[in-house]
Amino acid sequence: MSSESSKKRKPKVIRSDGAPAEGKRNRSDTEQEGKYYSEEAEVDRRDPGRDYELYKYTCQELQRLMAEIQDLKSRGGKDAAVEIEDRRIQSCVHFMILKKLNRLAHIRLKKGRDQTHEAKQKVDAYHLQLQNLLYEVMHLQKEITKCLEFKSKHEEIDLVSLEEFYKEAPPDISKAEVTMGDPHQQTLARLDWELEQRKRLAEKYRECLSNKEKILKEIEVKKEYLSSLQPRLNSIMQASLPVQEYLFMPFDQAHKQYETARHLPPPLYVLFVQTTAYGQACDKTLSVAIEGSVDEAKALFKPPEDSQDDESDSDAEEEQTTKRRRPTLGVQLDDKRKEMLKRHPLSVMLDLKCKDDSVLHLTFYYLMNLNIMTVKAKVTTATELITPISAGDLLSPDSVLSCLYPGDHGKKTPNPANQYQFDKVGILTLRDYVLDLGHPYLWVQKLGGLHFPKEQPQHTVIADHSLSASHMETTMKLLKTRVQSRLALHKQFASLEHGIVPVTSDCQYLFPAKVVSRLVKWVSIAHEDYTELHFTKDIVEAGLAGDTNLYYMALVERGTAKLQAAVVLNPGYSSIPPVFQLCLNWKGEKTNNNDDNIRAMESEVNVCYKELCGPRPSHQLLTNQLQRLCVLLDVYLETESHDDSVEGPKEFPQEKMCLRLFRGPSRMKPFKYNHPQGFFSHR
Amino acid sequence: MEVFQALQRLHMIIFSQNVSPCGKFLAAGNNYGQIAIFSLSAALSSEAKEESKKPMVTFQAHDGPVYSMVSTDRHLLSAGDGEVKAWLWAEILKKGCKELWRRQPPYRTSLEVPEINALLLVPKENSLILAGGDCQLHTMDLETGTFTRALWGHTDYIHCLALRERSPEVLSGGEDGAVRLWDLRTAKEVQTIEVYKHEECSRPHNGRWIGCLATDSDWMVCGGGPALTLWHLRSSTPTTIFPMRAPQKHVTFYQDLILSAGQGRCVNQWQLSGELKAQVPGSSPGLLSLSLNQQPAAPECKVLTAAGNSCRVDVFTNLGYRAFSLSF
Repeated sequence: MSSESSKKRKPKVIRSDGAPAEGKRNRSDTEQEGKYYSEEAEVDRRDPGRDYELYKYTCQELQRLMAEIQDLKSRGGKDAAVEIEDRRIQSCVHFMILKKLNRLAHIRLKKGRDQTHEAKQKVDAYHLQLQNLLYEVMHLQKEITKCLEFKSKHEEIDLVSLEEFYKEAPPDISKAEVTMGDPHQQTLARLDWELEQRKRLAEKYRECLSNKEKILKEIEVKKEYLSSLQPRLNSIMQASLPVQEYLFMPFDQAHKQYETARHLPPPLYVLFVQTTAYGQACDKTLSVAIEGSVDEAKALFKPPEDSQDDESDSDAEEEQTTKRRRPTLGVQLDDKRKEMLKRHPLSVMLDLKCKDDSVLHLTFYYLMNLNIMTVKAKVTTATELITPISAGDLLSPDSVLSCLYPGDHGKKTPNPANQYQFDKVGILTLRDYVLDLGHPYLWVQKLGGLHFPKEQPQHTVIADHSLSASHMETTMKLLKTRVQSRLALHKQFASLEHGIVPVTSDCQYLFPAKVVSRLVKWVSIAHEDYTELHFTKDIVEAGLAGDTNLYYMALVERGTAKLQAAVVLNPGYSSIPPVFQLCLNWKGEKTNNNDDNIRAMESEVNVCYKELCGPRPSHQLLTNQLQRLCVLLDVYLETESHDDSVEGPKEFPQEKMCLRLFRGPSRMKPFKYNHPQGFFSHR
Repeated sequence: MEVFQALQRLHMIIFSQNVSPCGKFLAAGNNYGQIAIFSLSAALSSEAKEESKKPMVTFQAHDGPVYSMVSTDRHLLSAGDGEVKAWLWAEILKKGCKELWRRQPPYRTSLEVPEINALLLVPKENSLILAGGDCQLHTMDLETGTFTRALWGHTDYIHCLALRERSPEVLSGGEDGAVRLWDLRTAKEVQTIEVYKHEECSRPHNGRWIGCLATDSDWMVCGGGPALTLWHLRSSTPTTIFPMRAPQKHVTFYQDLILSAGQGRCVNQWQLSGELKAQVPGSSPGLLSLSLNQQPAAPECKVLTAAGNSCRVDVFTNLGYRAFSLSF
């Protein structure tokens, strides 16, 4: 069939080779009918339904013919061949028809396809257009919305409110008539106004800046002037110092002191204030000064970060050193102790001047961690003192202020809370450190306004001015009397060591003119030695011989009789009398245990001391007592009854005038001296 | 001031003691002129505390020392520096310390007021005999208060007195070393014993003074400078000499014993034969007075008290040991 189709086509080409193909197509309808078959045109003409019918008919015919052929072939015969040939030619024709139909069908199909294709293409094109348009629409919509959302910067500016605007803006900007109606114009006007205002304010700002610059410059100039003034003022002050001294108005000094006083810890400050006040008001001989390093005092109050840095540094250093050196526990404890006992770098120094130009220097320290104050004392005299051997302890800094008030020995810390602190670092008592740190007497705490109620630890530092003030006067007076009595004793001891009892002329009336017994020895003895003497047991038992007292031994002699006197000197001399205990060695040893008269002699000296006080301030008490002792020994020896069995005269002839030699059940000797009659009688 | 008070107590001497008529209280007089009343019944009771051993009341009786005291059934009589004062026991116990009366015997010397060392009550005559520094014995009638007699004969001051009930006679011992007996009715010296002249009892190194006397009708014991000796009065002979070295200041008869005390701590108990039965130490270095509480009204307070050169009065409930001490 293909050759037939190609045949069919060939003729198409052959038939139309005389003209261009397109041109031929255009005229194809008409020319084709004439010259060649245009199958395409034929397709348009023919009815597909009829073709279908034709097809069906042809197929039937063909079937029929085939069947006839078949019949004929099967029947055979001579005319069959012709018939068969006939039928074959018919079927060939039918085949031709079928082919044509097939062609037609194909062409129709093609056409149909082409048409569809075209239509499709059109549709696609429209579709594309539609999409483009839609896309554009969307785009435009977006743009519109963008435009609608656009906020111009002018809306971010806080414009003044409408009323204000209309009030303030000048009419050429506000243009009320125009802007009232038109919001756009209004906004524009308002923006204009804003701009105006801003320009004006910017102007002002620039002006102010320039003003400020000017003023700063002026300030600089003035500062320089002032700083140049300061050195000049200083020099004037320096120049005025001699004038101040001349006029006895040491303002400068006082001012400096008040400056440093600001850095004192509270108790020392109270002490400073009170003593300066007392000195100015009552006692011109008192002078107060502050010693010590102000920088260190300031350093104590450094801000915490600095100290923390220091700590961390020092910790780091310490770690290193501990790794290298490993200090022992003892060394660490020692450091802790030192830390606990640390003193404040500033101290208050008080100078008390007495009438005879001797000065008592007191230095008050404050122990910060223990919250107590201590004092160190020193006595200086106008003239150089030659210290007699026995008077060593009288003016020693350790003991000169002991027991200023009864019982205030200053060896224990007055703050009960310190005991707990001591336990932590292994300090037993403060006694071991007093030489270094000073004595924490109770009156010192009171002067600093520190009040320690008994049995209750004190945590806060309440430095009370009223406590300090109430004790100030008494304490100052006591201090002065203490120094003076000690100095008086000092002088007396110098004389006693030479065997002379220095009786002043106004005390001479207490004693007879002639005293034969002499003081031979005067030495100081230790507390332990005193307690071990056999004739001092009563005093020790009565509790009058503590370790704050000073002990002395005096030896009075007459002939073969030796009288030993052990003396207890209380630090509160001379308001508290010295106590004598006697032991006489003459014809046996007589003490107050076995001889009533020795008891009487002790009683005369110890109990009847008030007569011996002498004129105030009774510094003569000790010497008068010693002189009386000599007189008593005289009386004792001279009134001793003569022993008839022993031969020889009395060793001590009676020279004293006595009314009676013995009196009373205990046969007392006449120890009382009567002035001015000059005889001895009994009490 | 504490020191002053401590010194006073150290140098205190208790010279005399006396028991109240009811027997429950003890009065003690010291050298400062104070009299303290102790409650014996409180101190001896089973709930005695430290305060019971302190005086109930102390008052200043005299300016000078209180050398001797006696009690009548209502009064306490105390004597010291030249005067005798009377106090009502009832008032003293109520702590009222006003003297009832005071008397001073007529003295010859005016320069110095002599002390009264001994007081003696003569119940039959209701009189009081005083003796002391002016070497005389004065008799004072207790009712009227007048001084009736003055017996003189001693050459030196009188230390002690004792009453011989039967006669009645008064014995006095003095500094001159003699014991003199006086008859009260005739007011004359009847007998004189000069103790120091007897070799066996004299001790010259102590002196010749007679410090203490006690008598038991026919017998007398005396001591002082010479040794403690028991005498038979009618024959004036020393029968027993007690070997005591220290001078005795007080002696008394008790049952069949002689108790003595003096220089030295102990209260000595002697048998009549001269043997030392016991020596009981006290708390004072020397004793000046002994007092036996034999008042019938208070048998539970029957104690011996001893006082002397200290502020303490030793109480012996049983003669064998010192029970406790009362103190001023």
